[in-house]
Amino acid sequence: MRHAANSLATKTALQILHMPDRTAIQSLILESVQMLAEDFELEALKAPNPQTALYGGDGSLDSMALVNLIADIEEALAEKFDVSIALADEKAMSAKNSPYRNVASLTDAVIERMPT
Amino acid sequence: MKTIVITGTRKGIGKEMADHYLAEGWQVVGCSRGEGSIEHDHYQHFALDVSDEDAVIAMARTIKASHGKVDALLNNAGIASMNHALLTPASTVNRILQTNVVGTFLFCREMAKLMRRTENGRIINFTTVAHPLNLEGEAIYAASKAAVESLTRILARELAELKITVNAIGPTPIETDLIRGVPQEKMDALLARQALGRMGEVRDVINAVDFYLREESDFITGQVLYLGGIN
Repeated sequence: MRHAANSLATKTALQILHMPDRTAIQSLILESVQMLAEDFELEALKAPNPQTALYGGDGSLDSMALVNLIADIEEALAEKFDVSIALADEKAMSAKNSPYRNVASLTDAVIERMPT
Repeated sequence: MKTIVITGTRKGIGKEMADHYLAEGWQVVGCSRGEGSIEHDHYQHFALDVSDEDAVIAMARTIKASHGKVDALLNNAGIASMNHALLTPASTVNRILQTNVVGTFLFCREMAKLMRRTENGRIINFTTVAHPLNLEGEAIYAASKAAVESLTRILARELAELKITVNAIGPTPIETDLIRGVPQEKMDALLARQALGRMGEVRDVINAVDFYLREESDFITGQVLYLGGIN
């Protein structure tokens, strides 16, 4: 039987040492948006920038595309930066305050959840 | 090789289901509060509390790294408490809701993300006949499973687009730790309310799980199947 090693303390210390900065996180999000845009054939999202609207208002994502994007970003964060976070948010469906409204707000949401 | 995640695999139905699916050639990922009790090359164990959000997320990330995807989830972990409602402390209520409702939800949420690309994901939740039978002494346990049934029906709709089916099984009493301590006369009265008046067996549960897992069952979702002729 293989037991999953529970080395949470060591992992957290390593994460702090190699904590990605805002630019790195935003690049990861932009890359994920671009890949999703290809999959879902969303023209408006094929060349995203920090102000690109994602969900609600002028955003091009429907709820299923948003769910996929969030799961893609969570996976990419785990793969590239070795951090396990969930981007679940109580304000997800709020038009005004949703952290998913554009790339910049989504970057803020990721930074807020990074281990400190 | 297909991967199935089963919660509560240290003993009881969870352990027997894990043994069964290992024998059937699945890769099984299990969990329990403590160390695992299964030794098998295709078994991986996580020691965690199913209602601990960070631990469940970390488990999902580890599975993603080691297995790439998940094909099926059996939300078997659960706790019960037999007591009169007027004698039940809030701490017991919270404990049961945390494990049965929050735990089931967290595993549905995180494992569904790992089923996105399988095009044939299966989530099977566990409820109880105590809910439709309105069993006295099981108010909180039955209420927690009523929540699981509602979760099952709504997730079936929310996850349909990801081609994940979400169903539930409601076993009758089976000889496990969960019913240890239930007086015999209570058990006899309960069996008398079933159309088929015998104790359930693990094979009855596995048969129903197998049915939901079949590829041909991709048009069955949001259903609750009670065993023993209860409805």
